[in-house]
Amino acid sequence: MGRISTFSGLVLVIGTIGCQKAPQRIDFNTQVKPIINKNCITCHGGVRRNANFSLLFQKDALDTAESGKPAIIPGDPDHSELLRRLTLTDPEEKMPFKKAPLSKVEVDQLRQWIKEGAEWGNHWAYVPPKPVAVPKPRPWLPAIFSDSWTKNDIDYFIAEKLKEQGLEHSKEAIRATLLRRVALDLVGLPPATEKVNQLLRADGDESYEKFVDELFASPQFGEKWASWWLDMARYSDTRGYEKDASRNIWQYRDWVIKAFNKDKPFDQFTIEQLAGDLLPNPTDDQMIATAFHRNTMNNDEGGTVDEEYRVAAVIDRVNTTYAVWQSTTMGCVQCHSHPYDPFRHEEYYKSMAFFNNTRDEDTQGEHPNLRTYRESDQKKIEDVKAWVRKYASPQKEIDVTRYLRTLEPKIHAHSCDQFVNGALVDTKYLGIRHGGSVRLKNVNLEGKTNLVIHYWMSTPGGSIEIRRDRLDGDRVARVALDTTGKHERSLAIPLVETSGKHDLFFVFTNPRIKPDEAVCGVEWLSLLEDLPGSTHKDFGRIQEKFYQLVNAATDNVPVMVESDGDLYRETNLFERGNWMVKGKAMAPDVPKSLNAFGKDLPRNRLGFAKWLLNDDNPLTGRTVVNQVWEQLFGNGLVETMEDFGTQGALPSHPELLDWLAIRFTRDHHWSIKKLIKDMVMSAAYRQDSKVTQDLLEKDPSNRWLSRGPRIRLSSEQVRDQALAVSGLLSKKMFGRPVMPFQPEGVWQVVYSNERWETSKGEDQYRRGIYTFQKRTSPYPSMLTFDGSSREVCTIRRIRTNTPLQALVTLNDPVFMDAARALAAKMVESGKTTEDGIRMGYSAVVFHPISKKKLESLRSLYLMAYAEYSKNRQASLQLLKEEKFQPELAAMTIVANAILNLDEVLTKE
Amino acid sequence: MSDDFLFNARLEAVRNITRRHFFTQCKTGLGAIALGSMAGSCDFFSSQNPALGLLREPLAPRSPHFPGKAKSVIYLHMAGSPSQLELFDYKPELAKLHNQDCPPSLLEGKQFAFIRGVPKMLGPQAIFKQHGESRAWISDNLPHFTTIADDVSFLKAVSTDQFNHAPAQLFMHTGAPRLGRPSMGAWVTYGLGSENSNLPGFVVLTSGGKTPDAGKSVWGSGFLPSVYQGVQCRSEGDPVLYITDPDGISRELKKKTIEAINEVNRRHYEEFSDPETLTRINQYELAYRMQIAVPEVMNISNEPDYIHQLYGTNPGKTSFANNCLLARKLIEKGVRFVQLYDWGWDSHGTDESTALDLGFRNKCRGIDRSMTALILDMKQRGLLDQTLVVWGGEFGRTPMQENRDNKKMPFFGRDHHVEAFTMWMAGGGIKGGRSWGETDEIGYAAVKGKTSVHDVQATILHQLGFDHEKLTYHFQGRPFRLTDVSGKVIEEITT
Repeated sequence: MGRISTFSGLVLVIGTIGCQKAPQRIDFNTQVKPIINKNCITCHGGVRRNANFSLLFQKDALDTAESGKPAIIPGDPDHSELLRRLTLTDPEEKMPFKKAPLSKVEVDQLRQWIKEGAEWGNHWAYVPPKPVAVPKPRPWLPAIFSDSWTKNDIDYFIAEKLKEQGLEHSKEAIRATLLRRVALDLVGLPPATEKVNQLLRADGDESYEKFVDELFASPQFGEKWASWWLDMARYSDTRGYEKDASRNIWQYRDWVIKAFNKDKPFDQFTIEQLAGDLLPNPTDDQMIATAFHRNTMNNDEGGTVDEEYRVAAVIDRVNTTYAVWQSTTMGCVQCHSHPYDPFRHEEYYKSMAFFNNTRDEDTQGEHPNLRTYRESDQKKIEDVKAWVRKYASPQKEIDVTRYLRTLEPKIHAHSCDQFVNGALVDTKYLGIRHGGSVRLKNVNLEGKTNLVIHYWMSTPGGSIEIRRDRLDGDRVARVALDTTGKHERSLAIPLVETSGKHDLFFVFTNPRIKPDEAVCGVEWLSLLEDLPGSTHKDFGRIQEKFYQLVNAATDNVPVMVESDGDLYRETNLFERGNWMVKGKAMAPDVPKSLNAFGKDLPRNRLGFAKWLLNDDNPLTGRTVVNQVWEQLFGNGLVETMEDFGTQGALPSHPELLDWLAIRFTRDHHWSIKKLIKDMVMSAAYRQDSKVTQDLLEKDPSNRWLSRGPRIRLSSEQVRDQALAVSGLLSKKMFGRPVMPFQPEGVWQVVYSNERWETSKGEDQYRRGIYTFQKRTSPYPSMLTFDGSSREVCTIRRIRTNTPLQALVTLNDPVFMDAARALAAKMVESGKTTEDGIRMGYSAVVFHPISKKKLESLRSLYLMAYAEYSKNRQASLQLLKEEKFQPELAAMTIVANAILNLDEVLTKE
Repeated sequence: MSDDFLFNARLEAVRNITRRHFFTQCKTGLGAIALGSMAGSCDFFSSQNPALGLLREPLAPRSPHFPGKAKSVIYLHMAGSPSQLELFDYKPELAKLHNQDCPPSLLEGKQFAFIRGVPKMLGPQAIFKQHGESRAWISDNLPHFTTIADDVSFLKAVSTDQFNHAPAQLFMHTGAPRLGRPSMGAWVTYGLGSENSNLPGFVVLTSGGKTPDAGKSVWGSGFLPSVYQGVQCRSEGDPVLYITDPDGISRELKKKTIEAINEVNRRHYEEFSDPETLTRINQYELAYRMQIAVPEVMNISNEPDYIHQLYGTNPGKTSFANNCLLARKLIEKGVRFVQLYDWGWDSHGTDESTALDLGFRNKCRGIDRSMTALILDMKQRGLLDQTLVVWGGEFGRTPMQENRDNKKMPFFGRDHHVEAFTMWMAGGGIKGGRSWGETDEIGYAAVKGKTSVHDVQATILHQLGFDHEKLTYHFQGRPFRLTDVSGKVIEEITT
């Protein structure tokens, strides 16, 4: 090893000397852009362009500035105003304005750059990755020089950088530690003791690979990797804002788990989440996938303007999409052009135009929802479908089915205006008094012969008249309403056949109610065509079934439904990001500095998703491999995972990043499991995580991978591990979120009757991913361990180390339950106390305890035993049992200590 | 022995890393708080902290941009928003207009949470007198408070742009109306660290039976590391979650447990040399000390009788009075930011509890004595000079009587109002007996000295020694700050 590095080092030196003879051209990205970003861009960039001069885009920089001439003349530094200003001393004219001047080196660099033509370099992240050759040692080298350390191609990239940095790799971690590491990384849980023992007997690469494959096949794989994705999806079981009421969207969480388990290719995974509803005949699963973007917050507070929060949700979708798939901070561009990166203000709204056309409008009902009917209603659905098929066409059958699945498109009460003697109650529902009226503007009535009205009414005698174009215009319908009891009801009102677009006026009457009482409450309206076969004698029967289904109780999950046709929304630029100040209209398009939008792609979310996945997109592949890398190694190859822009960090291993991106997208056809397998099979991953003082100085954050990852477990893992090693963990998967023990008084919610109802039985001990996620009151112990509150998309969790974390693992009843259960196993396992402690320790870290550590824990045991054998009461209290068992009590203290060890809370 | 020596030296190094780094390497006076690739960067608050992957000693004390007048903050937030027109903003003209229709000019183009159609004007439901040398107008709802009129500065024309509780509270405490930004207390502990490592740096106390409308996000850490979030301390149950030892574990045994854990961790460190292990050892020692310090500071029963009488406290219960006394104790112990929330100030007049002449008066009685006591007690202990006390709601109330759903309401109440409301500040470099800002004759809009929520925040940060434009954190590609893109220090009230 030593010899080979010296040898190739020599080659490298010769190569460098050879190069230095020719003068080096200035590199824009590494030499010029940093100077501009640091000194100029704040005043001459995307936010401000003082003196009409901006250095953000080449075109702007070479353009005529306010002075009437360009500031940069390529090839002619001596006549370039930029350079003149940089070298002045007059405080009024010199640049940077009111700041320290640039150093001579910096000025010289800029001078040379202009002299060389002032060429703009493309930032690495916006240039698509090109195939990279694996830096294997020269094949003509004798075998004696080949390095036995490398396990796969990743390692050649790592070895190359280590060599450059004058670092050496570490040896492989001991097998037990490696097995624990890879199990925690792939399924989020420690391996079973028996499994480890069996594997320890069969050393070698094969058994490791076999174990890795078993982990991939385990259903727990999806539970672990879903937690990565759900942070980015800002998945939560509540809606956010003041009321922060519950939201029924766990089906999406289950969809993610299943997708990882099935290894759904990432391109498909992307398309279904961003645009599943736009696929031909989407399945229920594909619809549920679109809940990815229904994880935005919904404001139910009275008095809030729905449009404001609808817009906020759309903006969140744009920002989240760019953060998750493109490592791009698009949020900046909402108010102005990007301060540092090549994205123009208009481009934000062009992207927004893709996302602005969904039917959700921040309504209380969280429409649109995917409706899942009860088993007992399935027959009716089949009857209706068969009828439509028979009397119309398969296409009509699809349309009718689509309506029954979502009851869309709906027109919400907030779309009405011209209220007379009535109001939008709680800014949500129509509440019109006797004789009052309201207008619904400009609706297309072509072919629509039914108006479905979703209402409730308690006092009998109410009726509605609908008039066309004017309050006293032609009457198109009149209907007497039935009372509805406690529940709302959807009623179909037949309309006189009308063509074209019209205003509709709704006049409400009920002479029997008090003057300040509303006739009824109306949540939404919907216009429908007649079912086919209206002349057939059984038509009435089938129509009745249809409306029974419309009124059926269903399980609802918020999903995406496109707002097309008459409901298509124009997207406007918001001046300085203010949604109230609308600028010019924007058609859907993608930023110019990224790959072009394919000619054959539809200009909707589906097209956008396909654009992200195009081979020419420079960011998607790199973004995903970087995120996955961070999950395993603790840091991304680009450390700023959320920002690949010019203000982000440069990749530590650019060639490896590109090689992995291409391997993932093309060779592995977007298989996440294959990508992960490449990483965990590498020698780099398998290294020992021990560090020396010397190494700590040379590579403090392990950027160069001179050792294996050593990282504190995530909030979910801390909990899951304690439950797993103590045998308490429930293997139950999927379903409604659970409420494990939480101290009294953590939820004190305003305007809500929702309570934390502690789950019973095994639901107390489900994996962390199933814990009820409330945005404004996250599960306390998870939050303490840096879990995300899921308010907005979280790309990386920052790991902290605090005393409050110690209090959780020392005192939280869940961890005490785990300690008691683990202690029982320890006491049972051996004849002596030492045996018990040995067993408990290796049940968590899988290797034998050292003599000194054993001594420490044994002395803790003895002290605890001395106390509990004397203090019966304390022992009973600790164990929550009637039986006096001082040994078990003392061992519980030891188990509690074991679950608090640094090496246990850490993946080593 | 030499092993021990080396070990202890390294542990000590971890403990002191911030200060040492600050003293030896930083000229800007702002120490870096993270190791890893952060070490070496001095201008922490405006750096892009790309490598903030790992934080060690994130709460060690740090110096601000310039020497501040205040070292700590007590923020009294009346959640729901009390009526300025029944407390501080005296409007005799409004009394004359009582029960008359509101002129259309006040309604056109305006948005209200509940007022519909044409409401009636509502005269002040309290009696006002002038108090102190400053001749400050204070209503009979706050008889005790009148005695400290000369200790506080009133801001009579604060405005906000959010008229619903949750967004307005978020705006007041995080500088933005939506979830996701760090709260003021988080910013301050991020900027200054904490003086007492045995207690959390940012403590939250709630009363009134509910948490604020915007939930725990108003004391959240947003995109800052979670270590800066407020820690809720409670008078009932565990004072801090999980701080109490489980039943059947004695203090002595817990001590021994932590010692054993740290001994094993130390052995482990000898093998792995990860500084993170040293930090963990330190945090376990801290946790143990916190287990003693928190219950001690949260126990008010040992306070002398005259203190209980002064504050009107009732040990063992949750009340605003208890929280005021706790705030003083916490500040005394070196806690950086104490945030009180008292819920139940949303006086719409829908029932007795929200009527301005009934429930509202009770709420006033519940705070009057204790917030006055807090100022007096802080003053007599010499703490007020270095502690900024802030009082306010998330918005104000309308001069019109609420007419929810265009109906006459059974009780006198006022709707949410954004254009002008009153806050007050005291101590920590704030002038006594000052009033800044004026509203029109009926208290509807500011006519002079209008200040914004961001101005209030800029002022609070300024008193602590921060330039609010420079206390930033790089997130999603740009530096963020508490005051977003505006904010001006209200110099009229600072000394």
